[in-house]
Amino acid sequence: MAMSEDPPKGKRLPLYDESALPYEHPLYKTLLSVPGLSVAVAPLDMILQWGMTNALWIFPMATSCCGIELMAAAASRVDLDRMGTIVRATPRQADVMVVAGTITVKMAPRVKRLWDQMPEPKWCIAMGSCAISGDFYRDLYSVIPGIDTVLPVDVYIPGCPPNPEGLMHGLMRLQEKVKLAREGGLPTREENPALLDLTRPSVMRFKDPARDPSVTLAQEEAALHATAQDSSDERPVDGPAVTFAPAEARAPDVDGEFEAILAGEFGVTELPKDAPPIVEAARHVELARRLRAAGYRQLVLVAATHYPEKTGAKAQAERFEVTYGLRTIGARSRVALWRVCLAPGESVDTLVGVYAGADWQEREQFDLLGVTFAGHPDLRRLMLSGDWQGHPLRKDYPADKACAPWR
Amino acid sequence: MEMTEATLTMQSAKRGRVDPHRSMRAYDADADLMLLHFGPQHPSTHGVFRMDLHLDGEIIVKATPYVGYLHRAVEKLCERLTYVQQTPVVDKNDYVSPMTNEQALTMAFEKLLGVEVPRRARWMRTLFAELQRVASHLLWLGTFALDLGGALGGGSTLFLHCFRERELILDLFEEVTGARFHYNTHLIGGNRHDLPAGFAAKVHSALAIVESRIAEYEVLSLNNGIFQMRSRGVGVLDGELALELGVTGPNLRASGVDHDLRRDAPYGAYDELAVNVVTAQGGDCYARTQVRFGELRESIRLARAAIDGMPEGPICGHKPIRQPGQAKATSGQVYVGIETPRGELGTFVIGGGDTPTCPYRLKIRPPSLHALSALPYILPGATVSDAVAILGSLDPIMGEADR
Amino acid sequence: MSALGHGALYGAVLIAVMLSTVAVGIWFERKFAGRMQSRLGPTIVGPMGLLQPLADVVKLLQKEDIIPAGADRALFNLAPVLATIFSLGVAAVLPLSPHMIAADLDIGVVYMLAVGGLMVVPTFMAGWASNNKFALLGGMRAVAQSISYGVPLVLAVLVPVILSGSLSLAGIVRWQSEHHWFALWPVIPGLPAFALYFMAMLAEANRIPFDIPEAESELVAGVTTEYTGAKFTLFYLAEYVHTLVGSAIGAALFFGGWDGPFAPGLHWMVAKTLALFVVVYWVRWTLLRLRSDQLMELCWKWLTPIGVALVLIAAAWVQFAPQGAL
Repeated sequence: MAMSEDPPKGKRLPLYDESALPYEHPLYKTLLSVPGLSVAVAPLDMILQWGMTNALWIFPMATSCCGIELMAAAASRVDLDRMGTIVRATPRQADVMVVAGTITVKMAPRVKRLWDQMPEPKWCIAMGSCAISGDFYRDLYSVIPGIDTVLPVDVYIPGCPPNPEGLMHGLMRLQEKVKLAREGGLPTREENPALLDLTRPSVMRFKDPARDPSVTLAQEEAALHATAQDSSDERPVDGPAVTFAPAEARAPDVDGEFEAILAGEFGVTELPKDAPPIVEAARHVELARRLRAAGYRQLVLVAATHYPEKTGAKAQAERFEVTYGLRTIGARSRVALWRVCLAPGESVDTLVGVYAGADWQEREQFDLLGVTFAGHPDLRRLMLSGDWQGHPLRKDYPADKACAPWR
Repeated sequence: MEMTEATLTMQSAKRGRVDPHRSMRAYDADADLMLLHFGPQHPSTHGVFRMDLHLDGEIIVKATPYVGYLHRAVEKLCERLTYVQQTPVVDKNDYVSPMTNEQALTMAFEKLLGVEVPRRARWMRTLFAELQRVASHLLWLGTFALDLGGALGGGSTLFLHCFRERELILDLFEEVTGARFHYNTHLIGGNRHDLPAGFAAKVHSALAIVESRIAEYEVLSLNNGIFQMRSRGVGVLDGELALELGVTGPNLRASGVDHDLRRDAPYGAYDELAVNVVTAQGGDCYARTQVRFGELRESIRLARAAIDGMPEGPICGHKPIRQPGQAKATSGQVYVGIETPRGELGTFVIGGGDTPTCPYRLKIRPPSLHALSALPYILPGATVSDAVAILGSLDPIMGEADR
Repeated sequence: MSALGHGALYGAVLIAVMLSTVAVGIWFERKFAGRMQSRLGPTIVGPMGLLQPLADVVKLLQKEDIIPAGADRALFNLAPVLATIFSLGVAAVLPLSPHMIAADLDIGVVYMLAVGGLMVVPTFMAGWASNNKFALLGGMRAVAQSISYGVPLVLAVLVPVILSGSLSLAGIVRWQSEHHWFALWPVIPGLPAFALYFMAMLAEANRIPFDIPEAESELVAGVTTEYTGAKFTLFYLAEYVHTLVGSAIGAALFFGGWDGPFAPGLHWMVAKTLALFVVVYWVRWTLLRLRSDQLMELCWKWLTPIGVALVLIAAAWVQFAPQGAL
């Protein structure tokens, strides 16, 4: 096979040994070593193959949406039990790992470990586009571009998610593959082109080599928008036209009470037209405490935003804004939003003392944006693993995964 | 309900709330605690969720949850996509209830862009949301039973029965949108797919089947002695703590707090359809089940009302927003929260930035993450078996919690 | 024929019959569960999916045999073998028909309780030797459960022993065929004693609602978490054999064993055993699982006092009942 036929591998990590020989049960070795018994190998092999293909037990490596369809496949309408396939919760008693869902950088080592815990002979089914290629998350910092960068995959089931029938079809293709492997090994691609799509992912991994590297994503998008504006369709439909309200009409979520508290007790009289009011960082805990006593019982939002340094016409210094949102409980529920502006390196006081729920929300913002919350009892990363470098939701963090530890 | 700071503090002190940040060094060194890593891959963690349980025998002394095993960088992705490209992305967040995800995001964008939605589209969205709530609660009931009864036992019987009925709802959605889930049917300013002919009759027949079987499920769960033994008094979350933690939806209402955004901050067609809010007292797994059973019935009623009163008219504006250039925002910051089957799904969008066709920042407030944050408070004192039940009763969806 | 030859022959037949019954039982359970869950169960492998359990076993035997790195190898390997030996060992005293008893021991009941009670040893061995925390928790649960439920089990079995005045299983069945079935008369110690026996048997065999040592939604697969291939097969079979033998003993102790009109005794015995076996499935696929502390509470606060009361009632019945009523 010529090397040029192989898909481009990018900076792929050889995490599994592709040259390893297929597993052979000691029973075969014993039979073949005893002179008279070797005649029993062929009929015995038929029986063994029959058993193996008809009792493929699944280990559900179900992480997300496809996992729901995996459950639906075991449910009444499709019923995998018809073909003898049941789901085992422990990898030790399973034959097929069905990777159903997105695998993240944090999860991938665990998947690999579970795969290693499965006894030979074992197979892997990549169910759905996330497991095949990472789907639209594939370029992002936290998602691996397909499970076949970690494990050898036997069958790819495309779809987002594949229907339960699709999974059943995939299992039947796997049965064929198991049979073929038993009957003197799998044919090469040249011998059986139909097997090509069983052994190669349907989507190229990593970046498209055909793409011009000098064109940035922003430029591509700008080109897309330029063409898009001309081609809006003029469908004659009775009814109101789409209207864009002026900025004044888009008042932020403030009610009179919140404004009164802000103006009367905190001296914030300047209310921007389409953004929440800005409160001093030093007094915002006091504001939260005051609002809580006024009936705002739930903290619904802690969202930090990064504004990088800019020069030129829209010059701005680098800053962070943390937006807080509180909600009243009961009839006519209202939301109060305010912002706190921070220079780089500054920290804002934590709200954990007022709302216990601020704990995880602030940890998430610390994790993804690097905003520190003074006085937080346990400020660790929440979403990413502890050894992660950088804060991905900052605007200067590269959009693709160039700096992810996965590479 | 007005509460002063002093009374709140007093209540907290009286309750003796668990301190989730207590160091392990503060526990008795001779207690010989066992550390059990529960997840991220475990049959009952509802996806990839991990808890480190410190056990004294089978009793949990301290629980430390870890999330992020399904962190798919949705917020970063959404900053790179235009406004019209984002519904398929958020579909995958809460994959048990994609309709309400789309609705939340689309409503936030509509508010940011100032787009009006025709009345028929709002009613259709309400119909979809209620049908989705039925499907989501059915799936929750099935998986909760699976946690209590195991995949090789009575739990799986209830689970498969719930799935059977859930398929009826998915068939309805498939008829409208062509997909079993991940529908991508919400547009900014309306809906992409109109209801097909004869849809009302199909909705009615499907709902009739589901409704007739809810009583069966009640026999297998709420009225079953073993179910009551396993769920009564287990995982008690008091209303005050739930409010403080930001727990919303059925979990909050099971703690006796009468709060439902469909009634309290109406959106869609809820200003025309009266919603009866189901609450329960107790805050335990049993109360959470009671609330969800009540909501199943209420959602069936609402879905019937929505399909019966479905107004005629266009399903989206004169110029449907399908192209990136049609949706632009130079400024603006909006927060929109709606009531999904799991609670308040909030979307906070900041418009503007270098590309006006993309949001500058998108923050999704997932109800599941807030429900999970209650675990370190309510797990200590429970057994490993209870941990499974408590986790299941909170109905977490990791795709949404981790994003 | 010498006693040894007799025992060996019957033993071999019994094991063959047991294992084939278990294979059909697994198929039947999967079909039965399928019907309860409005699906079909196995349909493809063999006619009506009949060969499915065979395919499972053939596959399991081919799987790689993994012994975890930190495991206690000797105990890990010994546990499944012991489990199989003990579960099949109880079958030796099963009175299948008046003439088909592998070992008609005078103290058959004691033997049955003793060997059946030993099942906890391999279970805990497996849990301990696996070096896995889920397995260890499962093993600890199994010990607590088996020892506790041994008490109501013994008390329930004592009722027919007292009523018939025999410690031999065959003797008890013979007494019932001459007089009446204990499940039917006397109703008060008899029927509740059967219910007690059935619950204790479910607990001893780790069946839902008492399957907390396995509890796959909590402990992944409990004590068998680390077992692969052939060793897992042995555990799997031992568990089924345990349930099957438990059902057979229940049929012998309370439903007159081989006693019945028109058909040979063996047919009646098998029919009664399978009927009880089906009830076990029925319960299994309907109910949820109890928690371990609730299990203990049920055992010590309810079942054990009831058992003691039943034994006293049985003794009083033997002592005071009019001669004809026996």
